[in-house]
Amino acid sequence: MGDRSTDGETASTEPTNVEGDRPIIEETTATEAATVHEEGTELERTIGLVGGLSIGVGTMIGAGIFVFPGLAAGEAGPAAMGSFAIGAVIALLVALPASELATAMPRSGGGYYFISRGLGTVYGTIVGLGLWLGLVFASAFYLVGFGHYAAAVLLEVGISVPFNPAAPLGVLFGVGLAVLSVTGTERTAAIQNVVVALLLGILTLFLVYGGLDSVGVFGTESTPERFAPFGWLPVLQTAALVFTSYLGFAQVATVAGEIKQPSRNLPLAMVGSVVLVGAFYVATIFVATSAFPSAELGTFGETAIVEVARAYAGPLGAVAILLAGLLATISSANASILSSSRAVYALSKDALLPREASAVNLRWGTPHVALGLAGVPIVVLTATDAVVLLAEVASFLHLVMYGLICVALIALRRNPPDWYDPDFRTPAYPALPAAGALASFGLIAFMDLASIVVGVGVIAVTFAWYLYYTDDVELKGKL
Amino acid sequence: MSDQPTDTDQSNDAREDQSTGHETATDTDTDTSGPGPILVPVRVLEGQSVEPGVATLLSRARVLLLGYHEVPDQTPPGQARFQFEDRATERLADVAGELEVAGATVETRLVFTHNREQSLNRVAEETGCVGTVIPNPAMRLEDVLVPLRSERSLERVAGLTGDLLAGLDVGVTLYRLEREDEETSGRVLERARELLEARGVDPDLIETRVDTSLTPVRTIVNTASEYDAVVMGESDPSVTTFVFGETAAEVAERFHGPVLVVRRQSHDERPDEPTYAVDRETLSETDGLGS
Repeated sequence: MGDRSTDGETASTEPTNVEGDRPIIEETTATEAATVHEEGTELERTIGLVGGLSIGVGTMIGAGIFVFPGLAAGEAGPAAMGSFAIGAVIALLVALPASELATAMPRSGGGYYFISRGLGTVYGTIVGLGLWLGLVFASAFYLVGFGHYAAAVLLEVGISVPFNPAAPLGVLFGVGLAVLSVTGTERTAAIQNVVVALLLGILTLFLVYGGLDSVGVFGTESTPERFAPFGWLPVLQTAALVFTSYLGFAQVATVAGEIKQPSRNLPLAMVGSVVLVGAFYVATIFVATSAFPSAELGTFGETAIVEVARAYAGPLGAVAILLAGLLATISSANASILSSSRAVYALSKDALLPREASAVNLRWGTPHVALGLAGVPIVVLTATDAVVLLAEVASFLHLVMYGLICVALIALRRNPPDWYDPDFRTPAYPALPAAGALASFGLIAFMDLASIVVGVGVIAVTFAWYLYYTDDVELKGKL
Repeated sequence: MSDQPTDTDQSNDAREDQSTGHETATDTDTDTSGPGPILVPVRVLEGQSVEPGVATLLSRARVLLLGYHEVPDQTPPGQARFQFEDRATERLADVAGELEVAGATVETRLVFTHNREQSLNRVAEETGCVGTVIPNPAMRLEDVLVPLRSERSLERVAGLTGDLLAGLDVGVTLYRLEREDEETSGRVLERARELLEARGVDPDLIETRVDTSLTPVRTIVNTASEYDAVVMGESDPSVTTFVFGETAAEVAERFHGPVLVVRRQSHDERPDEPTYAVDRETLSETDGLGS
């Protein structure tokens, strides 16, 4: 299976990894509707603009609205709005370069693909494994969030248990999701679209009502509070924490090979989803901090937004938001598991992970090994119940990738391979990608020390894997 | 092939011969190389094949054999291809061989997709297919049912049926469901018979049959069970489902044998005329040509 005639006569001299496998680099033609391989096999592009936006928004919105508002307001006060805005700006600074690279290389694998082709194998390996593990941390974080919502639901309906059920519930659903992703053949994309539309509907209602209320159009006037009661440093620290809410746009690029009309839909889906969720986040913090003093919000923890809804719309509002929270966190976790498995596939195809990792079973047609490589560590990490650590390590690993995406863009623009012909060009080059790289790396400095240590540890392990496994595989410049 | 072929050249050429002969894709002249192209989709990795009855139906045709493998959303199509392409190509070549033995000219394509219908529609559109065969099993082909619905689709349905079956020992039953307009029915059936005979179908093999029904799909399916295959015109003009019209799709779903759905002409050919729609209620009516 691994041996293909398309490797051509250069095959014998091509460098290999420690197992003797070499990357599978194939001539393909990307059309608007399909990818056509040299020997004529076609891969259908089936995800439209709505599907792309739904992947981006669906991945992101679970965290920013349903997990972070309480934590963020507790740390930064109403200025947490600024934290989310900073996050949105950084995400946009990366989304634009990522859009250019994605239209130049509409292949599955996303950020990993751009960096391995733009900067070479060592960065590619670190980022690729970092992307896989980053998504594992992110999924675990969403599942912990889900656990808290499920626990709140139990509380709401009056079921009490002698222990905190949040983590066990998260683990239980993590296992369920992983099993479903291997055995389920329903139209998951269609379900995801419906879930995202439903969420945006509920949230729009809630935010419009809460917003009008808090500016005094009707109801009680809101509590005036100092904008940044804890000073400005927490605003930046909070921005680093909540950046996990912006990890979804790059997931659009991991399915770039399946997006219809990639030159149009990829930039629109990536930039559009960041702008959309950014607006929702800022509005949510505004409404939340108008309802409660931020210190009080902080004590509500992960499910603070439920209390906000209760304050505005009574028990009915609380129930609606609880259900929305369950949907949102589970859809984020699910989207991340799937992206993570795609990252494993991309690495395996490039001989940076063993070939077996990309095996597909004929029974369900699913990549069970890659899904397992995502699902098992996710469940283990969910059991830790360490919301902040999981979120920050996920952000850390993504920020490293984002920074390197910007660097890869600059490298490719300065020294373009002959295939480099993006349909979308980043404006304000080179200032914008340079700012994106600096901001991405800079944000890491504001994280908790523990998160930085774990993040650096993960990077060190990926580098060790590069030294041990990849041997002399060369990916730079190979489309 | 070059004078001194390397191993790689040979294997590439062999692969290309199997999977993409380009000879028919741009050729629209039906007189020289048989009617077509006719799209034949097969679920290539699930062992779907073409049985002798289907091969007979297509024995004079130019066939576009589309092997497809549908994967769930959580699997990148490229990943499925990575693992199954060789097996799929091999299976597809086998199926193509069976059709070729029967006399058809076959071009093959292979697609990995999340969405079967989208892929079929795209390929049908790209290649200008005149019809699609849903290759349900049929051990033999002795008689074919041709439900006729309108004077507009009549020419294409009867014309293609005639082209495919001319000279074969296969009975053709022209079938008409009517509500009140006997005159139109007679005219449609007569015209269809003329077309078949003009294309070379033995007049002795042509029969006509008229029924009345308020539930056309059920009636067609019931009647079809007495026959080996069904040829019918596509009905639903919506852009997204132009391979299988609604009625035709239902018949194809419920009828156990092969169904040839004759495609509508492409949209740009008659841009000024009102869109023609046949649904279950208007199935037995003509589309205004006679009134």
